[in-house]
Amino acid sequence: MMPTLVAALPTWKHVLQCPTFWALVLGALGLWLLLPTRLRFGNSLGSLLVAMAGGLFAYDLPHLGSWLDQSVFWILALVTLGAAVATIASQSPVYSAIWFALSLLGTAGLFLYNGAEFLGMATVVVYAGAIVVTFLFVIMLAQPEGHSPYDRLAWGGLPKVLGVVTAGLFIGILTFMLGRLKDEAAKPLAADAFAQAHENLVANDGILAEKHVANLGRHLFSEHLVSIELGGTLLLVALVGAVAIALHGRPRLDQQIEEALR
Amino acid sequence: MNEVSLLYNYLAIGGVLFALGLIGFLVRRNMIVMFLCAEMMLQGISVNLIGWGRYHGSLGLPGAWGGQMLVVFIITIAACEAGIAMALILMLARRTGQLDSAAWQDLREEGQPAFVDRQVPEERTEDRVWPQLTPAGIQPPFDPDLPINRPRV
Repeated sequence: MMPTLVAALPTWKHVLQCPTFWALVLGALGLWLLLPTRLRFGNSLGSLLVAMAGGLFAYDLPHLGSWLDQSVFWILALVTLGAAVATIASQSPVYSAIWFALSLLGTAGLFLYNGAEFLGMATVVVYAGAIVVTFLFVIMLAQPEGHSPYDRLAWGGLPKVLGVVTAGLFIGILTFMLGRLKDEAAKPLAADAFAQAHENLVANDGILAEKHVANLGRHLFSEHLVSIELGGTLLLVALVGAVAIALHGRPRLDQQIEEALR
Repeated sequence: MNEVSLLYNYLAIGGVLFALGLIGFLVRRNMIVMFLCAEMMLQGISVNLIGWGRYHGSLGLPGAWGGQMLVVFIITIAACEAGIAMALILMLARRTGQLDSAAWQDLREEGQPAFVDRQVPEERTEDRVWPQLTPAGIQPPFDPDLPINRPRV
């Protein structure tokens, strides 16, 4: 294992020369403009700033080795993060849900790309197929009359600034703490490093071996058997709880009949 | 592929996804959008875990499957959360008639000032567009007797 955490504090000059820093500044500004607001030209300027921030951020990421790998990864990341930005920026909750489904498809692509075939499919089926569609139903049930004023503005000005700054600081600290990992990634590799890594991934029923789902099931039902049982119980409890919550507060059937007869 | 830089890229993408969900959860007021942003944070965590699992696998360490196992449980938890959140949001929306979380600010601590919207923006015409299906086929001729004599289905 190589160390991942950074050893020394950076100087101001180092910070100011780092593209990620400027990407975070521009991205925070652009998101502040994009979030539901009443500024004119907020959307177009905000999208421009966020796009510039995304370009700078991608420029600062270490290279994957071949341009084919790199471009596939960039397309998947662009779909995921662009749809995520549109999710939190669009004013209609229907569009939010649809953009979130697209973001989930991008995440599923990232999973597939990293050798998690079953989880990519499960994300598409469970999240995009079930959860998002269920929430579209809820939106249609609860908000049939069109757009509401609370979708067109946020919690005032200060929470918006604070949220954006918090997220920027979060990513900044995260990328800074992973500095040594990035230095390690930038080093030239040995000639047989790719082949060795692939061999490790395939050997001993690794995640890239054949019969991926069979191996995953074997691990799931041997090492994590108790957790699986607990997860099933939790699903049952959540089902019962959801039914109880939905029925609570509605008048019972005999009361309804009494009121109808009265 | 360069596995170390793949790990770094996945950590960065996961972190950005988490941060976007965080912003949305803190800033948006629609309860459904807040819920979607919570799910987005879970997705960021899942991307991180998948990246770590692949990295450990490429080093030949045991526990390469651990990341994917954790993501299986994250999906389980997300399904539970979706069921309960849907019931709760429907309850709350039925009581107030809206999905605004500011409608429940009566629950705030005693002595705290109430949150008041300073200025509600005008609704623009381009925001009023809803997704629509493209019309398919021809429109059937209208029969004036049909609404009266329509059989109950």
